[in-house]
Formats: sequence, structure tokens, C-alpha cells
Amino acid sequence: MNSPFRMAARQAGICALVLVLLDVPAVWAQTSGVAAERAEYMAWLTTAAVSPLRAIAQQPIGSVVRLGPSNSDVPLAGVAEHRVRQQGGSVMLESDGGKRAMPRGLPIRVGAYTLSVGGAAGRAVLTVFGDHPSDKRPEYYELQPALVFVGALASPEQRGTVRVLGVDGTEVEAAEAGSVVVALGDERVRLRVLRMPTQGSEESELEIFFRDGTNGRGTYPAGRFVQLVPESGNRYRLDFNRARNPFCAYSSAYPCPAPWRGNAFRSPVEAGERYEGVGTAGPEPPAGAR
Amino acid sequence: MRATGWAAWATAAALMIGTGESPVGPWRAALDLAGGPLSFSVTITRHGSTFAGTLCNGTVCQPFSAIGVRGDSILLELADYSATISARLDGDSLTGVYRNVGNRGPRVIPFRAARGRRQPSPAPAPLLGRWNATFFSDFGSSPRVLELRNGTQGLEGTIISNTGDYGHFAGSVQNDSFTLTHFDGSFVYMVTGTLRGDTLRGVFHAGLRSQTTWLAVRASGAPHLKAPTEITSADTSAPFRFAFPDLKGRLVRNTDRRFQGKVVMVDIFGSWCPTCHDAAPELVRLYRKYRDRGLEIVGLAYEVSGDTAVDGRQVRRYREKFGIPFPLLLAGINDTDAAAATLPQLRGFTSFPTTVFLGRDGRVRLVRAGFYGPATGAQHARQRLEFEREVERLLAEREGARE
Repeated sequence: MNSPFRMAARQAGICALVLVLLDVPAVWAQTSGVAAERAEYMAWLTTAAVSPLRAIAQQPIGSVVRLGPSNSDVPLAGVAEHRVRQQGGSVMLESDGGKRAMPRGLPIRVGAYTLSVGGAAGRAVLTVFGDHPSDKRPEYYELQPALVFVGALASPEQRGTVRVLGVDGTEVEAAEAGSVVVALGDERVRLRVLRMPTQGSEESELEIFFRDGTNGRGTYPAGRFVQLVPESGNRYRLDFNRARNPFCAYSSAYPCPAPWRGNAFRSPVEAGERYEGVGTAGPEPPAGAR
Repeated sequence: MRATGWAAWATAAALMIGTGESPVGPWRAALDLAGGPLSFSVTITRHGSTFAGTLCNGTVCQPFSAIGVRGDSILLELADYSATISARLDGDSLTGVYRNVGNRGPRVIPFRAARGRRQPSPAPAPLLGRWNATFFSDFGSSPRVLELRNGTQGLEGTIISNTGDYGHFAGSVQNDSFTLTHFDGSFVYMVTGTLRGDTLRGVFHAGLRSQTTWLAVRASGAPHLKAPTEITSADTSAPFRFAFPDLKGRLVRNTDRRFQGKVVMVDIFGSWCPTCHDAAPELVRLYRKYRDRGLEIVGLAYEVSGDTAVDGRQVRRYREKFGIPFPLLLAGINDTDAAAATLPQLRGFTSFPTTVFLGRDGRVRLVRAGFYGPATGAQHARQRLEFEREVERLLAEREGARE
């Protein structure tokens, strides 16, 4: 069996004064990295046209979604009727003015709104964004150097892929990447890790969707995502200060990912992104998820 | 709005020059990936009150679309990819971040640079040549070919997959280990490897954090990748049909007089696709050489926006860049599935570019997925020869085969 992830800060720090001093810059560098990441995320949330703070609707396209008039699938004030149609692998936007393609990941403006298409061929999902961001802002616990762990990634019991919702509520085909064991208080929890691809590139992220004792009492009720960061060899860093809410925490336009089997701490993980509101959209199991 | 901002920056920059620090000159730059630094070169020049510059992977360079300098803040822009590098100048170092916009959050990678030029770092003979690699990821294993050679700037090479190459990589060597990198403002790729005995082992890094382990043995000559002609197949029972508007909006069809009785190469491409840029000069060369003997070429462009005006502009620029004398048609958008839907006679269409060779009867004789660019060296040369042979073979087919 693998040994649990060790606390990164503790491992170098406590034994001797010299080591404590040596450890300071390392911990500082690490927490300032988290602070910089949060600043980037805040800038993206408040400026990007596809920020969840602007999302007003997200839905599977199926064969067609009607936008505009009040009796449409997605009513949009001041917008004449538009239809988003999925045919074969492509998605088209039709209106009286003509017809145009909607490539994935390339937002299109319609009046005061932005439309974006994601998801796999034949299973495309439309997200509609408005012009005015909501005033929600991410809030975080104080940085907790003790909730940073370093350890090995164990191979998955069974290799394969599974369809799950990503942080943005869009379905992705993710690969079983294995698991990590984290010891927190008197608990040892095995966390399942999935590799989630980025469309159109060779890039992917190792993601963990987990629940803990703070859910609904300070953090988002459905759970949070945290990325596992590779270091050298089979060493990975799990920094709960980097835990973030799924986009459904910012807007009920998004469906929430269903909690992953296991991946739950009884004890509170008081680090990373907080949530003060009530639950918005409840967990919605995606097709094919276990 | 941005232009005004730059003008102000440029003015500030002009004032700044002479007070001491200037960003002008060569820089050894790096993106700090989780698995180590990805090295490349940046050169900044000044022309009057404005700055210009290039981003280079070894000998292969591209210009920044704009450079802004305000006080000690430098902004390098790569408009094609909506990407920027913003950095602070402090004496002989630049520190900052590379950014482009993502749909699930910002894509941000730490950037740094130090003044100076990279020293060429040639590889010892045992590393050079062609290696059959297997990449192992959570999604399964897949074949690649690594080409390693020494150029004027030391080690360089490329990675080739079933559907094409990853562009030009430049690198450095330390004893039996090497690092090869490719950063073009959008793709962030790095390969590290070590030779032990007769086996190369290493890691392929993509973006800030993706890492894929691989191992490779020296190529034996037997095929390791799926042959490019086996990836996409076609319906050969009837002439290959296409009907799309050209850049003036006129409908061009396979049944038009200009294609009748001719050998036709159909180039499925996009102006956004670097490998297509590699293929274009070769198509122009073939067209000039064989047109009088009965070769026609038509390019089907699959562009990004789906907006005829925007896409038309991009394709016109592409035509001018390569001096393309054959018709280019606006066929659709750059989504593989969408493109496949417009060409129902192709099966297994996966890659840009794809070249479809039609005989004098208009039927498909060969479909070639991908194109080995100049970065692949010997593969590139061999492919040019194969294209030429195929054209010669089809031109020689009996006139009687014509419909």
C-alpha cells in the first residue's frame, strides 16, 4: 500500500532550527504562488467574456436550441429569434440575417450577449453569457501551509475513461489516473484522480473532486475541485489552498458535477475557496459517471 | 483603444531610453513548467520610438505582433493566439508571465529571461537519428517518431505522430540527456530524454503541467507510425464531389470544366494550421511543374470564424503569402467533425492538411493525411518525392480512364 501524502511544510521544518529557517523561503514561495494564482483567477473572472460571473444559461443543444423571444428555450431581451443547431459534429447559429458556424471554444457575440459552445461532437453544450458580471467574488480561507501534501500517485485499479462534468459544467471524457492517500487528523482518505483533457491540445490536468466537513458550512455544498500538481518523478503536490468551486457556485446556469465515489473527508478542510450562499443547482449525475 | 495605449507606451519608452535600462537586445527566455524550464529566445529591437521583436526556437523565429514598453514594464503580444507575455525589467533580467485566455480559467505560465544569447549545444552521435517512440498516458499508449539532428544552433528536431509533426524543436544536451522545446505562443511543448544503453527514456511536457512518459528505440526501418495513406479512406465508386464558393463568392464544383480530365489534388487546409503552411510551398511547386501536363489543384479552406468576410481575409492573406496560383475555396470551419460532414465521401477524416489525389476520371486514388514539414528533415524530402511520383503516375494513366 502507499504511504499517505506527507505534509510538505512539516517534513522539512520541525526537526531543527536550521531546517526551519531553510524551510521559510520554500513555504513563502509556495504560498505567494497561490496568492498570484488567485489574483490571475480574479482578473479572469472579472474580465473574461466567458466568465461564470456573466453566465445566464447553459444547456445541451440536442438538435436545436431557440434563443431570443420570451417564449424561446433561452429568452434574451432585445434579441430577435436565433437558433443554435447541431448537425453531425458541427454547430450552426441561424437567424433571419443568415447562418454561421460556431466553432468550439470561440465565443460569438449576439447583441449584448456572448455565446460559447463546448462539449464533444454530437453532445455539444451551449453557454450564454450576459454583459454584466454578478458581484460575486471568490472568498478564501487563510493560507494553510499545513494543508499542502506531497506524495506518490498510485496506479488506478482499472484503467479506462469516464464521462464526468468539468469545473465548467461541460461533459469531458476523463481518464482514470489513479489515487492518492491523504492522512488528515485521524482519517486516511483515498482520493480518486481523473485526468481531464483540454479540447484541441495535448494538455490535460489531474483533477480531484472532493467533499469534506466544511461543505454547506463555509464551502460549496456539492464539493470542490483541486488539481494535483506533478513535481519530479512520481511525486505530486496536493495543495488544498488551491481548492476551487465548480462554476455552479457562481451561477445556477451551470449544472453541478455529481460527487465522485469516495473522495470524502469527515473532517473539515479549512483551506481554499469558501462559499457563503445556499446551494444553487443540486448535484446532477452526468451520463456515464459512476 | 489599444493602439492609443501603445502610442502612449511607446512615447514613454522613448523617454526612458537614455535613462539606463533598455529591453533592447537578445534574451535567453524560459517558461517555468512544472517539469522544468522550457527555453527559447527573444530578441527586442528599437526603431525610432517603437519596439519590435522575435520569438525563436533555435533558428525558427516569428515576430511579436506588438511590443509595449512603459517604464520597467514590457508587454510582448502574439495576436494570432490572443497571447501575451508581460514582464518587469530589472537590469539584466525579465520576470513575468505568459498568458492566454481559457474557457475554464486563465492559462498562465511563469516567464523569465536573462540577457544574452544561447550557446549552440550539439548532441553526440549516439543521440542523433530517428527513434521509434511510444508515449504512455492515462488515455493509453500511442506511437511517435523522434527525429534528432544537429543544426547550426546545436540539437534540433521534431516529433511526428500518425497525423503530422509538432513543428520545429530546438534543444540542448548534457552528457547523455537532452531537452527539446517548442513554444509558438500557443503550443507549449518540451521533450526531455536520456540515453541508457540503446534505449531513450523521457517525458513529454505539454503546457504548465501535462507530462507523458515515453521510451524509444532506434528506428529499424520497419514502419512504426500508421502510414499517412491508411488513416483516411474514401468512396471510390463515384467522382469526388465538392462545391464551395471561391474568394469572390463564385461557386466552384468538381464538375467545372477546369477539372475535367485532369489529375486533381484537393488540399484540405486552414490558414490557422502551421502544418498547412509547411505544405503550401510544395503544392505551389508541383502546380508550376505539372500544370501544363494536366495537373489541377484546389484548396478547401476550413477556417476559424465561419464568418465569410473574416475567413476570406485570412485565406487571401494565406494565398498572398505563398503566391498560390490555384483556386482556394471557403469550405467551412476548422472542426474535424464539421469538415468531415461537408465531405461525406471521406471516411476517418482526422487531420489538417489532408491531400486527396483524384485520377483523370475524378475518382479518389489516394488520401494522404497530414504533411511532414521541413522540420522532419529526411521525411520531408521523402514525402516531396512521393507526391511527385503519385502525380506522375496519375498523369500517365490512360486518357481512356476518363469518364
